[in-house]
Amino acid sequence: MPNLGPPLPSSPRGEATNQLAALEPDTVRLATYFALKPETIMDEVLSVFSIEAREQLEAMESGLMQLEQGDRDPETINAVFRAAHTIKGGAGVVEIHSVEQFTHILENVLDRLRNGQIEVGGEMISALLRGCDHIGALLTLVLSGEHEPSEQLKQAGAAIAEELRPFLGGPAPAGSGSGGNKLAEAEEGGGDIERGDRERATYDCWHISIRFGRDVLKMGMEPLSYLRYLLNLGEIAHLTTLTDALPEAEQMDPECCYLGFEISFRSHATKAEIEKVFAFCRDDCELRILPPNSKLADFLQLMDALPEETMRLGEILVRSGALTPEELDAGLKIQSREPDAGQLGDILVQQDALQPELVEAAVAKQKSVSEKKAAESNLIRVHADKLDQLIDLVGELVIAGASANLLAKKSGEGTLVEATSVLSRLVESIRDSALQLRMVQIGETFNRFHRVARDVSKELGKEIELVITGAETELDKSVVERIGDPLLHLVRNAMDHGIESAAARAAAGKPVKGRVELNAYHDSGSIVIEVGDDGGGLNVERIQAKALEKGIIQPGQILSEEEIVNLIFAAGFSTVDKVTNLSGRGVGMDVVRKNIAALRGSVEVTTAAGEGSRFTIRLPLTLAIIDGFLTGVGKSSYVIPLDMVVECIELSNTSVDRDYLNLRGEVLPFVRLRELFEVPGSRPPRENAVVVQYAGKKAGIVVDQLMGEFQTVIKPLGALFRNMRGIGGSTILGSGEVALILDIQALVSRCARAEELLSHGNTGSRRLEMH
Amino acid sequence: MSTIMLVDDSATILLSISNILTKAGYSVEKASNAADGLAKFKSGVKVDLLITDLNMPGMNGIEFIKAVRSLPNYKFMPILFLTTESQQIKRQEAKAAGASGWLVKPATADELLATIKLVIR
Repeated sequence: MPNLGPPLPSSPRGEATNQLAALEPDTVRLATYFALKPETIMDEVLSVFSIEAREQLEAMESGLMQLEQGDRDPETINAVFRAAHTIKGGAGVVEIHSVEQFTHILENVLDRLRNGQIEVGGEMISALLRGCDHIGALLTLVLSGEHEPSEQLKQAGAAIAEELRPFLGGPAPAGSGSGGNKLAEAEEGGGDIERGDRERATYDCWHISIRFGRDVLKMGMEPLSYLRYLLNLGEIAHLTTLTDALPEAEQMDPECCYLGFEISFRSHATKAEIEKVFAFCRDDCELRILPPNSKLADFLQLMDALPEETMRLGEILVRSGALTPEELDAGLKIQSREPDAGQLGDILVQQDALQPELVEAAVAKQKSVSEKKAAESNLIRVHADKLDQLIDLVGELVIAGASANLLAKKSGEGTLVEATSVLSRLVESIRDSALQLRMVQIGETFNRFHRVARDVSKELGKEIELVITGAETELDKSVVERIGDPLLHLVRNAMDHGIESAAARAAAGKPVKGRVELNAYHDSGSIVIEVGDDGGGLNVERIQAKALEKGIIQPGQILSEEEIVNLIFAAGFSTVDKVTNLSGRGVGMDVVRKNIAALRGSVEVTTAAGEGSRFTIRLPLTLAIIDGFLTGVGKSSYVIPLDMVVECIELSNTSVDRDYLNLRGEVLPFVRLRELFEVPGSRPPRENAVVVQYAGKKAGIVVDQLMGEFQTVIKPLGALFRNMRGIGGSTILGSGEVALILDIQALVSRCARAEELLSHGNTGSRRLEMH
Repeated sequence: MSTIMLVDDSATILLSISNILTKAGYSVEKASNAADGLAKFKSGVKVDLLITDLNMPGMNGIEFIKAVRSLPNYKFMPILFLTTESQQIKRQEAKAAGASGWLVKPATADELLATIKLVIR
């Protein structure tokens, strides 16, 4: 039989669609809905789950870190528990059992922590944090399409479970007479984590009391079906079938149902979810559901309300663990002593005043629910694909707008020109708003590094403080997603190689506690992310020697210090002789640079001996649409990102024999696009130079004509041209022609290099390099 | 393998639900109106579950359920009807006619299959 999960009433999407259903003609809705293939629907649920689980993991992690730093707020513990609980629940729904089972262990430890049965401790937090990592690894695996974790991963999980074991079997709560035995039994259970859970007293189960209607069979239903279905939500800990209502054989109608059940049900489902199981028979049966840890009074009321005799029910409830024999006895004694006192339940409700902590718990629960709702109301979760689609459409709109503008100008009709210019202004606003939608703060990415810093400092035995600034800086989501890994590498590297050992720091008269800084800010159309450390700085001589040894530079080549340190990004360069666990993960600096270059960004490093080094990453704010500056050479058009344009100057006809010019006393290297791209035709008498700036370096780009600002929708280059230096992408002009977007970074560094070569009397090739 | 009879006047729904059911390993009998469905029942096909729409031209779903339920062979067969969140009154009526339960539209494939798993033997 296929293992079908429980229904998904709790998924946010499910609720939303149910609400929608009330608003829309249901046939249409159903048709579009069912037309989806089941896999597609499941994929959608999976993706919702994966987003949620990642968020909850982050919440767990940050909560655990707070606990480690001495926070003992019950709400913090609660939040961590809730996060684990949510992950487990979600994993159950989407049937990722590896995640469900493993998270269950963490949840149990956290539950005990929450109930004050165990204390927060360093080892426990470390183990729990490792547990979080393991869940993350399982998630990654499952979402990549694997169904079973690898043997290695399983072992890792088992090891963590083993570490957590000591925190599962603490002393049983006082007052439970057989607690000692239970504990002993649990310990005998060996590595079986579930065992510890099973030993929890049964009264933290739901208690379900059901008497089926006589006609249930005639309605095509069977009592057993409900019980089987109930198993989708949890585990039946104890079940008593009540045959008290069965009549004598000759009076019995075989088509009628006379059965009832008392069920102890262990589950994390909500009452509504359990009730939903019985939805089809609710109107025709007697159903009562008592939550786990219900008050004694509730059980006694239940006994009073049901058709069976109190004694008989009392016995059943005691057997199923819902009541203790003492509690039942006490109630019955009072009843027999004072016959006027009424039903058993009433007596005990009066006797058993509400416990203050129960009220407190209820209030706290209410509060947390309302707080959560308030936070959620400000956000709408949108699938990234939808945003991408919107931005694609806006891109098309921009192109279409440009073409309308062009036609209007050609027509020479004043009113039309005016109308289209209003339109294009609006399009521009829409473009900005649409792009804004995809902007996310980098803080989330940065905050991950607190955990990294903690782990790495422990592992290395160094005291390192991570200082984050500029966390509110925004950049495109697709960039954020892909910058995490290179950043992680740089941060690890700074901690491992940047920061010296405590002894060395003390000897150098520095504070023992090392400092790694993460900073982000906006700078002329780029976002700059810096990873700095106050360590010993890079060893320039050693880098140079290494570069020589590896053949990256030639003997006799004269390089500035800045150039030498940036050699660490060259392919095949690695100064680490000993591969450590931390930075030697098979990823060199060249890979970091490659990853960043793939985002149209750049990375460089500056260093000062004894004071530390600073890695500076520059990235474009967005990968979709930019403000461009359109220029022309011959019949071709080129777009320069407007943010990088400093000024435009006119070049007179005077022959410039070297590739630099005098800009108000400053040496400005330049590159002629006509020569660079071998555009046919001869130079016009008057050329223009666009002065661009990138990462503090200026260069001139010489073109024939300047055509002004142009909203540029970036289209990627085909595979064949992707490795071409100097061109970053293409775009479509209003006329339908293709214009190339210049890669200013590459051009500027080319100019800078040419300048160097020139000053060393060496002429570099002017041709673009293809590789 | 369990057989499910699906009765609905909308071809789209017939197709989409039966796709889900077939994929889940059920064999599906389809009828596009109550009369056809009833005829099939009268011919004595083996059906483990009936899923029917309520609002159909000709014989409506309630009459259909009553008629099927009165056939001796299908006295205890589970019957589910398709309904929406807002049709509470119809639910009572359909249950009184002998239906076992309902499927709320729209439902995901999972919800659909979970409910079927509940009622089918």
